[in-house]
Amino acid sequence: MIPLVGLLAGIVIGIVLEPSIPQVLQPYLPIAIVAAMDALFGAFRAYLEGTFTDRIFVVSFISNVLIAAAIVYVGDQIGVGSQLATGVVVVLGIRIFTNAAAIRRALFHA
Amino acid sequence: MDLLNQIIRQPMDPDYAFAAVGNESPQGRWKLGVLAMIIGALFAVAALQTTRAAPALQSERSELISRVQTAEREQDELRGRVTSLTEDIATLRTAALGDDDAARLVEAQISTLDPVVGNTAVTGPGVLIVVDDSPSAAADARDRVLDIDLQVLANGLWEGGAEAISINGHRLSNLTAIRSAGDAITVDYRSLTRPYRVEAIGDVRTLQARFVESSAGAWWNDLAQNRRMRYEISDVKQLDLAADPGIVLRHAGRAAS
Repeated sequence: MIPLVGLLAGIVIGIVLEPSIPQVLQPYLPIAIVAAMDALFGAFRAYLEGTFTDRIFVVSFISNVLIAAAIVYVGDQIGVGSQLATGVVVVLGIRIFTNAAAIRRALFHA
Repeated sequence: MDLLNQIIRQPMDPDYAFAAVGNESPQGRWKLGVLAMIIGALFAVAALQTTRAAPALQSERSELISRVQTAEREQDELRGRVTSLTEDIATLRTAALGDDDAARLVEAQISTLDPVVGNTAVTGPGVLIVVDDSPSAAADARDRVLDIDLQVLANGLWEGGAEAISINGHRLSNLTAIRSAGDAITVDYRSLTRPYRVEAIGDVRTLQARFVESSAGAWWNDLAQNRRMRYEISDVKQLDLAADPGIVLRHAGRAAS
């Protein structure tokens, strides 16, 4: 319950306050969001399987976001930023779909 | 492949499996809530920024378009000046040549060569060829008219005995480049808009037949039949072709007398 409320509160805060992201960080925002979605789906699946631990969720979320942004940052420095961003999105996308399938199986038994 | 398999087999963080089950503390719950809030804010900010950026990009684009248009207008003006200066040069040349037999010979030579190289506007009967992309060009890029197609067309017309050619009002000389730049075909670095009207002045009795029989005619027949491009060729009683403003006086000297 608390996470759901937090999520909604975050969306509202984001829309109302409109915090401006520094220009330097802007390219990494979409990647960070994909990483966050991956962590969310992973956490939900773990929750359904009864292995959810909030400590691991917090740590995995933060590290995923930072690592994804760092990969793209390093890629930008050596000139393959968009390719590495694609790689990150592909890998995280596969994980999201696999986790979503597991969640669907767990929820609807289908 | 092994890498992809590994990603699919282990989509969750492996730590979840190792960690002790159910060690949720109220403090952890709050951490979770804060994190969820951050995630929500991330989503909202990213979505807002993308929607904000759209009109900015649009205005940037229209700004660029208006700049291009201004530059093109300036270019037109400059071309107009070139034309009037060329006329001045011709007047000055006539004055400088004087009025003796040698001068008249040179004048005659100039007036024969001028229309051929595209230095003066010419009028006369000729052939009009209208070509355009095929209706399915949006689906298949190969159905579009390319720069090489226009090059072949122009060369075929020269081969067929054309004395002067212009494409969409741009007179061709032997210095004219027909190239593609981005999505458009340019003649003398001015982009063309479809459809392409190629006008050629020449002997009406033979020009069309000789063009159709040439390799360029075969090339365009093929494009029209297999790619269904528009390709219309017709005789015209009178065509008015402007001079090529790209031709400039590069060298001038006193004739040895």
